[in-house]
This record gives sequence, structure tokens and C-alpha cells, in this order.
Amino acid sequence: MSSDAEAVGATGTTGETVLSVSDLDVSYGKVQALRGVDLEITQGEIVSVIGPNGAGKSTLANTVSGFKEFDGSVEFMGRSVADRMPEDLVEEGLIHCTESRDLFGFMNVDDNLELGAYRRGDVAERKAFVYDLFPRLEERKGQHANTMSGGEQQMLAIGRALMGDPDFLVLDEPTLGLAPVILEDISEGIDAIQESGVTIMLCEQNVTFALKHADHIHLLENGEFVREGPPEELRDDDYIRESYLGG
Amino acid sequence: MVDILQFVILSTIRSGLYALIAIGFTLIFGVGGVLNLAHGASIILGAYAAYYASAAGLGVAGSMLAALVVPAVFGSLLYLFVIRRFEHEPIMVMILTLVTSVAVEQLVIELAGTQAKRVPQFLSGNMTIGGTSVQYNLIAVFALSWAIIIGLFLFINYTKPGKGILATSMSAKGASLVGIKSDRINLATWAIAGALAGIAGMALGSQLGATYHMGRNPLVLSFSIVVIGGIGSIRGSVVGAYLIGFLEVGVIQFVSSDLTGIAPLVVLILVLLVKPEGLFGRELAE
Repeated sequence: MSSDAEAVGATGTTGETVLSVSDLDVSYGKVQALRGVDLEITQGEIVSVIGPNGAGKSTLANTVSGFKEFDGSVEFMGRSVADRMPEDLVEEGLIHCTESRDLFGFMNVDDNLELGAYRRGDVAERKAFVYDLFPRLEERKGQHANTMSGGEQQMLAIGRALMGDPDFLVLDEPTLGLAPVILEDISEGIDAIQESGVTIMLCEQNVTFALKHADHIHLLENGEFVREGPPEELRDDDYIRESYLGG
Repeated sequence: MVDILQFVILSTIRSGLYALIAIGFTLIFGVGGVLNLAHGASIILGAYAAYYASAAGLGVAGSMLAALVVPAVFGSLLYLFVIRRFEHEPIMVMILTLVTSVAVEQLVIELAGTQAKRVPQFLSGNMTIGGTSVQYNLIAVFALSWAIIIGLFLFINYTKPGKGILATSMSAKGASLVGIKSDRINLATWAIAGALAGIAGMALGSQLGATYHMGRNPLVLSFSIVVIGGIGSIRGSVVGAYLIGFLEVGVIQFVSSDLTGIAPLVVLILVLLVKPEGLFGRELAE
């Protein structure tokens, strides 16, 4: 086994810290959305942040990707995100796929994907990868984004994020409101993305989905982490089973 | 028959210029979500830049260059040093651009006085079309307006920076998520809008002379045109400009010149009542 291969852990990680969050506080005016959050994600991992609606998952995602001011420390690849614009983080490989998708509604699928590679080259190669991952997008490539179904828009949002060649992908609620058949497509897509070596922070309300994909899970409630551990451990946690898995 | 032909020719020519005036206004609203009430100031600066360039012996080409560059620089500086700090406060931007507009008018009065200044024509001479005498200058203004509109359309829809402008107009956050720097896009938009207003100012000045208050009517006109066409839509601005242009000339020619100012307002109210989002909605370009 090569030294490179030895460095890679059981989950495909190399141990290098991609994201380091410590003592993070975020507020909206007088309302505190996150308090004292600590989080570390290493290369190749899928770390999921689960929790109910309003727990602060999207706030955490927006803070990590440079869209929200904060107190505490958030470092991407060893440098604070506080002194960088979200656009600069994109160039450095941190790409955020938001809950609201934020697609370019009056543009077609092809144009949306090409804009995903705005700061990159090799558009054709990356587009082929995305179309291979989500063949439905290729079938719809001439269609305006705002005329697509919710599931197709979600595929497009993930596809557009992948066009930016991410090292670290922040996925915020990728399964929200999707039909089971589309959920399966998204699920397969996330597996393929991880296999390609991308580190992922997965913010999810769908705990079953998170348990299936994540290497490590944090439960966020009212802006604080209240449980954490590997999925096999949390699956047997009474509180999580009763509160999030229907007993 | 001659009356109809004259109506069509004059309306077509006037509408092209109106479209040129309105596009810059809609571009800034579409991308930044703010109303630039200093748009008329860029028109004034374009006309006076052309006048001073011509007086300095730079010729028509030099005057055109000055009419493009001076307002483009003005728009860029206005964005960088004033608007950028308040870009998420549309009311503040309206107030600041209105104040800037008044300041530019006062500066022009101070530097050039209140008398109209002669702005060079693009072309001199006349030609007759179907019994109607038309100045070459008006034909040049029409051709230039359309060349610029088509150029802008191609730039926005088929170049990378143009698509960046288009993307930002559709979703500012989406643009940030793919790495488009909204600062640069806004700066480019203010510069382009300034240049378009500036060359429109030279075109207006070449017909009526440059005056310190020449930007007021085009600003009101721009507002009507973009509301009718759909705020943020280039295609809507062009259609709105032709609607207003034909209506204005038609009212002057067939009804009464006293009603010129009222006709666009009647259409504006009708559109707001029937289709408040304008004829082409919110999209920047199609």
C-alpha cells in the first residue's frame, strides 16, 4: 500500500482539516441564531448537520460560505473566511448549494451550468460529468430553470455547484420537498460526488437521508449542537430515534 | 399618404433614440435594483463633453469619444464613491442620485452658463424619403442607436462578462455562489449606462443644442418607458420606447402638440392598471 493510500482513512479521508469552526456565535439583530458552535471537517468526509426547521442549519451554511457576519472563528483551509468575500471562497474551492437554490430562472440548464464554471476552465469536461450524474438535466438542457420541477431544479443547483470544481461542497437541504424517486437520484448523486473526493457539509432535516450518507453527524437545536457522533451511534440514540425517526 | 409616411419615419427615428436613453436606466435597475435619478446628468455630461471636444477641434469622432468616456467615468465614480455604500438602500440611492443630478446642473450653469451650446452633428445635410425631408443627422442617430442596442444585446447574451451582468440581474446571490463579483458587475453596469446616456446626450444636443436642463425630460421619459416595458427588461425598454415614440409623434401630427406630454402618461397609467409588472416583466434580457 502506498503512503498516500495509507494516509486515507476508512471513510476516504486524508485527515487534513478543511473547515474549522470554533465558538461560533451568529445573530440576526437581537435574535441569536447560533451560539458556541464548534465543528471540524476533514478532507473527504461527509459531515451532516441535522436539526428541525429554524435550528440554525442554513445560518451555519451561510456563515461558512462567507454570506453572514459572525463572532468566533471560521477557517477554510486554515484561513479565516471573515476577510474573504463569498466569491473569493468560490475561487478557492468552497461552493455552497443553497436551500433556496438561487438559480438563474430565465436562463436554460446549459447556461446555468456554464455560469457555474464562471471562475473555472474545462467547461465541457465538467458539464459532461454533471450530465452523467444527472441525465435528466441533459434531457432538459434547453429548458428555462424557472419552468422545471422542484426536483429538477435541485439537480440543477447541485450540478451548477459541481461546475465550479469544488473541494468543499456545502449542501443545504438538498432533499427538501422532493418526491421519493427524485430523492433516489439525489442520493446517488451525492455518493458519486463523495467518490470523486469532494468534502461535503450536508445540512439536512431528513435524518434518514443524513444517516445514510454522513461519516459524522451533529444535531443542531436552537442554535446549539446537542448531540454528535457517527451515524451508527446516533441511529441507536433514544432521543434521536424518538424525536427524528418516529420512535 | 405623405403624412403617414412622415409619421412613420419621424416616429421610428425618435423611438430609436428613446430606447437608447431608457436602456441604461433599466440596466442599472435590473442589476442593482436601484433607480438612478442621475441618469439625466449623464445625458447632460455627454452633450457638454461633445461640445467641449468639438470646440477643442477634436472633430465628430473625438466628440463621440468624449460623449462616451466622460459620462462612463462619471457613472463609475458615482458608483464607487457614493452608491456602493448604499446599494442595499434604494431610497437612499434615489435621494443621492437626485442630489447629484442637481449638483451637475449647477456645475454646468457655473462653467458654461445658461445659453444653449452647439453640439456637433454626426452628419450634415438632408435627404428626401417619399416626399419627406429628413436630416442625415437624424438617420445617423437612428443607425447609431440601433447599432448600440444590438451591440449591447450581443454583449449581454453572448459574452462572459455580459452573462455575468445577466446572471446578477436574475439572482444576485446566485451570482455570488458561482463566483461572480457583484462589485465589478455593478461598476461595469454604471459605466455602460453612463456611456449610453452620454452618447444619447450628444444625439439630443446635436438636434436641440446642449442645455443645463436637457436631462430632465429624458429622465421622466426613461421612467415611463421602463415601467411600460417592464422594469429591468431591455426588450421591454425597446418596445416601450417605440410605443411612446410613435404615440408622441402621432399626437403632435394628428391631434394637438399641446397633448404631447399627456399621451405617454395615459399609456403609463393604462399599463399599470392592466399589467403592473410591465409588458415584459422583470427579466433583463431575452
